[in-house]
Amino acid sequence: MLEFDGLRKSYGTNLVLDDVSFSVHPGQMYGFCGANGAGKTTTMRIALGLARADAGEVRWQQRTVDLEVRRRIGYMPEERGLYPKMPVLEQLEYFARLHGMNVAAARASAAALLDGMGLGERSKDALEKLSLGNQQRVQLAAALVSNPDVLILDEPFSGLDPTGVDALAENLAERRSRGVPVLFSSHQLDLVERLCDAVGILAGGKIVASGTVDQLREAEATRQLRVVIPGSNGGWAHALAYARVDSDRSGEVLLRLDDPNRDQDVLAAAMAAGPVTQFGWRQPTLVEIFREAVAA
Amino acid sequence: MTAPATAKTASYDRTGDVRMSSSRTVGLIARREILTRLRDKGFIGSSIFIVVLILGSVVFQVLLQSGASNVSVGLTGGPQQLAAAIREQADALGLDAEVSEYDDEAAARRAVESEEIDAAVINAETVLVNESLNDNLGVALTSAVNSVVLAQRLAEAGVEPGLLRPVSLSVSSLQPADDESDENALVTFVSIMLLYTLLIFFGQFIAQGVVEEKASRVIEVLLATVKPWQLLAGKIIGLGVLAFAQLLIICAAGLGGSIAFDVITVPGAAIVTVVQVLGWFVLGFVLVAALFAVCGVLVSRQEDLQTVLLPMTLILVAALVLAITAGQNPNGTLAKVTSFLPALSPMVMPVRVSAGTVQWWEIALAIVLMVLAIVAAVRVGGRIYAGALLRKGGRVKIKDALTAERVS
Repeated sequence: MLEFDGLRKSYGTNLVLDDVSFSVHPGQMYGFCGANGAGKTTTMRIALGLARADAGEVRWQQRTVDLEVRRRIGYMPEERGLYPKMPVLEQLEYFARLHGMNVAAARASAAALLDGMGLGERSKDALEKLSLGNQQRVQLAAALVSNPDVLILDEPFSGLDPTGVDALAENLAERRSRGVPVLFSSHQLDLVERLCDAVGILAGGKIVASGTVDQLREAEATRQLRVVIPGSNGGWAHALAYARVDSDRSGEVLLRLDDPNRDQDVLAAAMAAGPVTQFGWRQPTLVEIFREAVAA
Repeated sequence: MTAPATAKTASYDRTGDVRMSSSRTVGLIARREILTRLRDKGFIGSSIFIVVLILGSVVFQVLLQSGASNVSVGLTGGPQQLAAAIREQADALGLDAEVSEYDDEAAARRAVESEEIDAAVINAETVLVNESLNDNLGVALTSAVNSVVLAQRLAEAGVEPGLLRPVSLSVSSLQPADDESDENALVTFVSIMLLYTLLIFFGQFIAQGVVEEKASRVIEVLLATVKPWQLLAGKIIGLGVLAFAQLLIICAAGLGGSIAFDVITVPGAAIVTVVQVLGWFVLGFVLVAALFAVCGVLVSRQEDLQTVLLPMTLILVAALVLAITAGQNPNGTLAKVTSFLPALSPMVMPVRVSAGTVQWWEIALAIVLMVLAIVAAVRVGGRIYAGALLRKGGRVKIKDALTAERVS
């Protein structure tokens, strides 16, 4: 288990992280969300030893993350960077060896990754000769090439086209299925919702929500009841004393209840107003959960 | 979706893993530096340029000396002893004269015209040359003719031949100097030039490499698995190996060529000088490389590099100038003091040593001071390096780099 325990960090008087704690389990894909400047990158860089926490620590399998542990972590920094003039295969091989692979294993792993990304033909080209999209793939390959036990990826999906997103998602799913905990940050909440087992939302230097997507939905105080009566106006709903109407347009009404157990009362009232074609609790999107959590 | 809690580590084949020690990490970094440079056309081109420049200057010396020291003179008529006298006088002036006799003036004239010989002496009266007479040869011929003709006339006047034996001055020098030390001075001078050129050249390459890693942001990926000091050490060792190899090639070719072409007649002393310079090069290289790397890490763009390197470059230029000055006055206070100062000593001390005026303890002291300077540079420089590696944007102040949080 990868544990972030009570991380605290300030730059001068600016408190960036305020007691950030969460954990990523083996085989779990953890989406790290938060507005710009929320502290996601700082949290990740502390795990990689690139920034120092004022308090708290990061542990992998009960062991404080040090240089030796970091060799088992695959890392993709927010600011991409590799050697521009170095051939890609050799470059990946180099990073694999720095992580402790022997020559043969490093070469085999690098070649297999490039082939898998459709870059086998370009393996002898200098990185700078590749398109930006392909450079991004090589950057990801650099994080994966040592077959790390842990993956920490800062905005890995940014700058990828839809095909690239799918390929990366597939690759990460394969790693997860081997038991690798995957922590990645993203602004693309729909992606996080689609891919992740667990989500952490960072706002103002604090984790304001954390857990599986289902848990977050359960905890969501703003669950909405959706009722569709074609052709009716929402007058019947506005008349209910125990409910608040969030939206009402062309027969579709979204309601929030003071007491969730009164949903059957709503159904009865709706049926009295006209033929109900759709009725049910609406799953909040991660975007909504995020807005709610950040606003709180 | 949560995976079973029993899964401890990812199921990868780990048989290809090796234990990473610092020396292995440093070795990998050094290896990358070497391979990258060997592929870099700019590096190879400049290296070849330096080799050609140094060897070219040696060849130039060869041509200069061989052109001046061998002369051929033709003779026709005049006293018998003239040929021997010419050889003797020329030798006294450092010329190696080959004297050949011709049957008549016409034959001698043809030989001069066809440049078979440099000059022809006709009847001990006239010197025949193509364009102009070499000054030294002129003096040699004049005194040869003078002495022979004078002796002949005196003998005719009845002076006893015994009285005509030339008087020889015996020279006793206070500081024995010989051909050896002249040659040594030449070898030392060429070596110092070489040292200067290579230090500047490789210092630049180290600094550029450091900036490249900052500018491309690959540093972020590297520092997640590598300590700053390992990165610095790997760079210095990698480029050091290349620099030393280049120096060895130049020295071997230069020394071999010089011995083959007789520029150096006493190879032993020259070899000692070269070995000494190689030793100083190693010390100088480590210090200069560390300092250039630390200067380089203060900026994030190649364009800003020259400004921060200027102080370092000036120190090297000063060292070269001081070394040349020391060659003229190896016992002066300036030469003595600067031969102990780290960063200057690698260039000044060899000059003093080749002048033969240095005690062994002076060399030892200079080496100790140099090693201390290296330790200090690596300690303090290493802190600056670690503090500034992850800083972006403009130029990092040394004070800020020293107090910045460092990656461990």
